[in-house]
Amino acid sequence: MNRRNFMGFGVLAMAALPAALSAFSSIDFRQTKPDAWKAKTVDDAIKALYGDIKPEEKGVTVKAPKVASNGGAVPVTIKSDIPAKTVALLQNMDPESAVAVFNVPENGIVDYFLKIKLKATDENGGNGEITAILEGTDGKFYKGKVALNVAKGGCEG
Amino acid sequence: MANMKIKAKEKDGIVKVKALLKHPMLTYDQAKKKGVEANFITHITAKVGDTIVYDVSTSQFLSKNPQIKFKFKGAKKGDELTITWVDLSGKTVSESKKIK
Repeated sequence: MNRRNFMGFGVLAMAALPAALSAFSSIDFRQTKPDAWKAKTVDDAIKALYGDIKPEEKGVTVKAPKVASNGGAVPVTIKSDIPAKTVALLQNMDPESAVAVFNVPENGIVDYFLKIKLKATDENGGNGEITAILEGTDGKFYKGKVALNVAKGGCEG
Repeated sequence: MANMKIKAKEKDGIVKVKALLKHPMLTYDQAKKKGVEANFITHITAKVGDTIVYDVSTSQFLSKNPQIKFKFKGAKKGDELTITWVDLSGKTVSESKKIK
């Protein structure tokens, strides 16, 4: 006949509810890192996003056609097996260098494809390069890049 | 007319998604030439239920009607994938597709 104890048991059960809600939420990098989107060079964009980092050039693959005939829709792929927190896609051909910043969920797969606009490389002295910076969950940074030529620019359209 | 064309297929635990987002994606330069306001997608998020599986902030340099592809784990056939984009004007568009 322990009615008092019975009540106490109910309260305890409530308090033990685990905080199982996922800690991962959407990040708007345009809000959190506004300077990165105004940066005109790849190095400035990296600094604005991640500070003074020295990424290791390994483990990140960036693919793009060697010669992109249509600058308005250049297919780019970024792949990596390194567990990532964020991945930044940058290039040195457009007026601003930041194209996209991915917020990678836990158990996320870094295998992204997107079509982007790039200016013709002859307007840039012929040294077109797309760079991806991966911020690892281990706190280290990695990078991959690919050189390309864009025959017909896609920014003025 | 749909705002997005989404294809989502699960195989061996990995879901592969291919999506075409309909948007004029006008850069600042292009908009100036046309005498209109620049407008382009600035953020894309994909969810299965309450779990975010893809989250990216984007610039004016994605192509017109951009095509994107991505992969993720943890969902199965029949689950519903929802892709949402936001653009510079603040417009938000969402579309869902069942994973095959």
